[in-house]
Amino acid sequence: MRRLCVTSFLIILTSIFNVAPISAQEGYPLKGSWIGEWAGNEDLGDFVLIVMDWDGENVSGTINPGTDNIVIENVTLEPSSWTVIIEGGGYTLSGRIEQLELPSRSILGTWKHGSRSGALSLSRQ
Amino acid sequence: MNKHFSRANLNLQKKTLIKAILLGASVFVSSFAFVPSGQAHHPVAAKFDPSKEKSLMGVVSFVDWSNPHAHIFLNVTNSDGKVQNWAVELESPVLLKKAGWSENALKPGDHVNVTGILARNGTRQLWSEKLTLTGTGRQVFTMKDIAPRPLLNQRPTPRWPDGRVALGGTNTSIDGYWSFPSAMVLTEDGSNVQADDYGQLNSVTDAAKVAPFQDWALALFKHRQERMLQDDPMYLHCKPPGGPRQFQSNLGIKLLEDRPGDRVFVLMGGGNHNYRIIYLDGREQSGQVTGDDDNPLYFGRSVGYWEDDVLVVNTTDFNEDFWMSNGGLPHTSQLVLNERFSRPDLDTLHYEVTIEDLGAYTRNWKASWDLRWVGGEELPVHFCQDNRP
Repeated sequence: MRRLCVTSFLIILTSIFNVAPISAQEGYPLKGSWIGEWAGNEDLGDFVLIVMDWDGENVSGTINPGTDNIVIENVTLEPSSWTVIIEGGGYTLSGRIEQLELPSRSILGTWKHGSRSGALSLSRQ
Repeated sequence: MNKHFSRANLNLQKKTLIKAILLGASVFVSSFAFVPSGQAHHPVAAKFDPSKEKSLMGVVSFVDWSNPHAHIFLNVTNSDGKVQNWAVELESPVLLKKAGWSENALKPGDHVNVTGILARNGTRQLWSEKLTLTGTGRQVFTMKDIAPRPLLNQRPTPRWPDGRVALGGTNTSIDGYWSFPSAMVLTEDGSNVQADDYGQLNSVTDAAKVAPFQDWALALFKHRQERMLQDDPMYLHCKPPGGPRQFQSNLGIKLLEDRPGDRVFVLMGGGNHNYRIIYLDGREQSGQVTGDDDNPLYFGRSVGYWEDDVLVVNTTDFNEDFWMSNGGLPHTSQLVLNERFSRPDLDTLHYEVTIEDLGAYTRNWKASWDLRWVGGEELPVHFCQDNRP
C-alpha cells in the first residue's frame, strides 16, 4: 500500500509538472509573471516573484508584489541577444532570456544590491 | 455509518477506497500528462529536412487516412534481413481528396517505393515526395494543382432582396465558401517578399521588409523564422487563427450572415473549427456579451457597419496567445484591426486590413488580398485534432 501511495504520488506529481498550465505569451517576451530565485538574498529571502507589463514603449512592474513591493524603475531589453536588465529599489537584475519560444521561458543571470550579489533564475508562469 | 461494519472491515474499505482514488487519480492525471506534446499539422520544413533525401522499398502495413496528415506505414527489410517499420507522411486527406485520391489507393500488403525527405529528429519518418507501386510502377497520392480555374467572365455581385451585398450565398443562390487567398503571408502592401504557404520566408534577411517592426518584434519574428515555424501555436496547440490569419488559410472561411440577428459569423475551414462573430447591431465592444468579463479573446471583439457596398469592421481586445499570421508576426494586446470586406463580383472577396499595434510596430500599416468563391461546397472538414503528428 505504501509503495502504491508513493508511486501514485510520484506519477501525479510528475504529471502535474508536465501539464502545469502556463499561459501562452506570444507578444512582448517579458510580459507576464516570473517566479524564481535570487540566491543568497538575506534581506528578502531566496524566492522572488516579478510581474511585468509592456505599454509599447516601456516595461513597468513590481518585484515581489504583495510583500516588500519594489517598483521596477527601469527595464532594458536588447533583442539582438535577448539580454535584459531590470532595475528597482537599488537592485539590478541582469540576465538573458533562454528558450524564448516557450511560454515557460526563463531568465538566467545575476542580481546585485550594493555590494551583495548572487545568481538569478526566473521562469515565466 | 453502517453499524455492522467492523473496524477491520472499515480499514479494508478505507484502504480499497484510497487505493481506487489513487489509481484513478494517477490514470486521470497521466492521461493528460502522456498526451504527445509533438506537433500536429505543421510546416513540412519544421519537421523534415529537405536536404536529407531517402528512398525506401517496403510493404504497406497500414494506411492511416486521418487529418491533419495521412500516413502510410511501411515494413522495410534492411540488408541484414531485419524488418523496420517506417511512417511515411503525406498531405492532409482534405487536399489528397481534392487531388482525386482516396484511402483505397493503397492497401496493406502493397509493395511500394517511396522517395522523400527524412525527419529532422532522426526517427523513421519520411515526408513522401514520390510514392510508386512496385509492381505496376503506378504513382499514387500525387498532388495535382487544385487552384481554381481562371474566370472566363465576371459574374455580378449577388445581393439580398433589399440590395445589400451578400457575403456568402443568398436564399436564392447556391451556398459556398471563400478560399484560395491570393496571399498566404501577411506583408505590408507594396513590400515584395517571397514566402511559402506556411509563411516561411524564402530568405530571412527579408524579414524587416514584411512590416514596420519594433526592434523586439523583428527579432522575435526572425527567431520564429529561423526555427522554421516549428513553435507555431496554431499547429502545436490547436490555437485559433486569430486576426488576419483566418483569411489566409488554404482551407478557407465561410461568411455566414445572420441577417435577422444583425451579425456575421466567420467560420474557419481549418484549425479547431471555431468561429468569430461580427456584430452589426450597434452594440459596444466592452460588455459585448454578458458574462465574459471583457477578457481578451483570440478573435477579439468585432463590431461593424456597412459603408455603401463595403463591410467595415473594427476589432479590439485580442489576447496574446496566438500568431496573427502564417509566418509568426508578433502582436500585443494593443492590437486593433480595421477591416474592409467587399465583393466586386460573385467570385471575388476583397479583404483589406489596417493593423494598429504600437506595442509591436512603429506605425499603422495595411495589407490586402483577394479570396476566391468556391460555390456549391461546404467548408472542408479538417480539424486540428488529437495532437496527431
